[in-house]
Amino acid sequence: MQQTSNPSCGATGLLSEPPFSARDDATLLREMNELSRWHLSGCDAYRAVWPSFAEAQSFAELPSLHVGVFKHRIWRTNGEGIAHQRTLKSSSTSGTSSQIALDGRSGALQAQSSAAILKDLLGADQRPLLILDDVKSLQQRGEVSARVTAAMSLRPLSTEMHFLLSGSENAQSLDWNKVGELCAKSPRLLVYGFTWMLWMGWAQGTIPDDVRAAMAKTQVFFVHSGGWKKLEAMKVSREQFDGALCGMCAPGSGVLDFYGLVEQVGIIYPLCSAGFRHVPRWASVIVRDPWTMQPLIGEPGMLQLMNPLAFGAPYHNVLTEDMGRMVEGDCKCGRTGQRFELLGRMPKAEVRGCANV
Amino acid sequence: MINFDGKLAAFSYDLMDRLNQWDALRTKMVRGVPAEFTRDEWAYLVNFVSVDHLYDCVEKSFGQEEVCEPMSLMRPRGPIAIWLPSNVSLLGPLVLILSSFAGVPMRVKAGSKSNDLCAAFVQFVIDNLGEGELRDYLRDQVKIERFDRHDPRNAEMAVNASVRIAFGSDAAMAAIHALPHPVDSIGISFGDHRSEAWVEADALDDAAVTTLMKVFAIYGQAGCTSPRRVVVLGGSEADCHALRDRMLKLWPTTMKADAPMHIASLNVMHAQLNAASGWDVKLTNRNGAVLGVGPVDKAEMSGLMSLAIVSGTIEQAVAMLPPNIQTIGHNVADYSMLLPVIAKTKAKRFVPVAQMHHFGPVWDGQNFFRQLFEEVAL
Repeated sequence: MQQTSNPSCGATGLLSEPPFSARDDATLLREMNELSRWHLSGCDAYRAVWPSFAEAQSFAELPSLHVGVFKHRIWRTNGEGIAHQRTLKSSSTSGTSSQIALDGRSGALQAQSSAAILKDLLGADQRPLLILDDVKSLQQRGEVSARVTAAMSLRPLSTEMHFLLSGSENAQSLDWNKVGELCAKSPRLLVYGFTWMLWMGWAQGTIPDDVRAAMAKTQVFFVHSGGWKKLEAMKVSREQFDGALCGMCAPGSGVLDFYGLVEQVGIIYPLCSAGFRHVPRWASVIVRDPWTMQPLIGEPGMLQLMNPLAFGAPYHNVLTEDMGRMVEGDCKCGRTGQRFELLGRMPKAEVRGCANV
Repeated sequence: MINFDGKLAAFSYDLMDRLNQWDALRTKMVRGVPAEFTRDEWAYLVNFVSVDHLYDCVEKSFGQEEVCEPMSLMRPRGPIAIWLPSNVSLLGPLVLILSSFAGVPMRVKAGSKSNDLCAAFVQFVIDNLGEGELRDYLRDQVKIERFDRHDPRNAEMAVNASVRIAFGSDAAMAAIHALPHPVDSIGISFGDHRSEAWVEADALDDAAVTTLMKVFAIYGQAGCTSPRRVVVLGGSEADCHALRDRMLKLWPTTMKADAPMHIASLNVMHAQLNAASGWDVKLTNRNGAVLGVGPVDKAEMSGLMSLAIVSGTIEQAVAMLPPNIQTIGHNVADYSMLLPVIAKTKAKRFVPVAQMHHFGPVWDGQNFFRQLFEEVAL
């Protein structure tokens, strides 16, 4: 099929306003329609899935892909101005990672998006960023992990970056001396880690007395993602988690939990003070009935996430395996627009067979 | 001893009494379905333990009961050890029921990560059967345990068994049979197999299509006896589409229960993956399954509940059989015409579609029930 020209999309236009300011859904829908056609013309596999799509009159009519398809094949959209770079790999609890083909044009928009969302919650002032990962994670050729990508989304808010682990999966290898040094040097710090790693490495870590004393005088903002699955297994509540982290730091410290997927890189959904996830004006969320795919309002169902920031592969509109519930009305936190409640992963039932699966 | 066509069967109990005890259990079974079982599984078990069915299994193994000159004596080999993997279906209890007719000590290793249907079934029998020889046997001589593949009890089972029955992957079965065991013991393997259905368009009325759908939907691709592919013999692509359309139409009235939520979700995923791979796919009502039409030589469809529908000649169907083919279910005007073809394949079973999941003493190319006994020449 003849490749269409690069969509003249106004994604940057939507990004020019604060993330939770008034929505312009007509523009967003137009961009999503254009982007869907862009992927249809540049990605044969995507076109095979949605051979007859032309135009959607609503977000619910737009063509989407199930997130699981990114675990089974590499999807790429070729076209004018697209240079594929590294592959973004999800962390995997099932043994198979999602793989997203990143490209420069999308990357710039995605970085702008995540920075704008994080600034809305954390403020724009910069401070040292401490990352619970091994610096070697940055150096993998051709690949980048979900953890590094999430950490890098905080880069615009940082003055400097420090990797704290000497083994990417070893939470106990945390360099407390480095933490102590930075606490002594800066009154405010930003810390990012996967949820379970922050708990195991930081909250449960053996902290030297001098570091603990320095930390007590430092305002620390902890940012975490990656889900609660492991902590649920350890019977750790959000209150325990937040209390343990903030309790050892100066007053004014805080914890920010954000939800995001590698298949929606650039869009993050932080938990607001009222317990909801807000959708930036350059994204949209639908909750669907798993059996009929009908959109649901106020009832739990499968979350579908979409944004117009992905050009190198058709991960702009994905049906997730996470459960959520759309909530109408204004939020107590003061933000307007779409919001949802994240309810966790879809429950799984036992599959019986004859030992061959 | 009972003389079956010249073979004297040396059961350590009264066979008819044992059969009647199993049969008597059915009146208790029909009162409700234990939580561990689905309704379909329980209904199958109710039929399986009928006196007629179990006696038929004995006859299929030893021959018909009749008075003639005895030629040999059939004697239980000795203790039986059975390894069941985590996701094994009803095959576990079914093998246990048939093996119990050897009347010897039996030790079963159930899967460590799933519902243990064997233990649930045996407990049901013990709780619901009146005092008698069968209950005593199951209580005193059948031991069901759950442990993983590294547990030293695996070696204990192997070294003490005269018959090892192993389900699982090739690697898992090889590991079990590699455990030290008596030199005169035997190993029976029920491994990784695949199945398919061969049909003729003209032989498919609505009842046959409904049967095909039901047989597929019980386990989808997780069942070694479930059809992963339907071959419309001598048909065209239009015949495949017609069959698919009939299945889509009949699905809502035939499959009344919803697929579990995550299976419905996975079906959406596999519909997309298979479409991306070139299959012409449609999701059934309420995302219950993925039905795909494609060429006969196309690589198989992915997905637990994905069913491929292809057309081809008999030669093409044979050429595309998987190397580990187990059951070919047929729905054709005259299946006997296909027997010379089947003889040249590695298929272990060639049965009507409706019987694809029916378990019996002849399984995976051997009469395993008969092998629980050794034959003494007279």
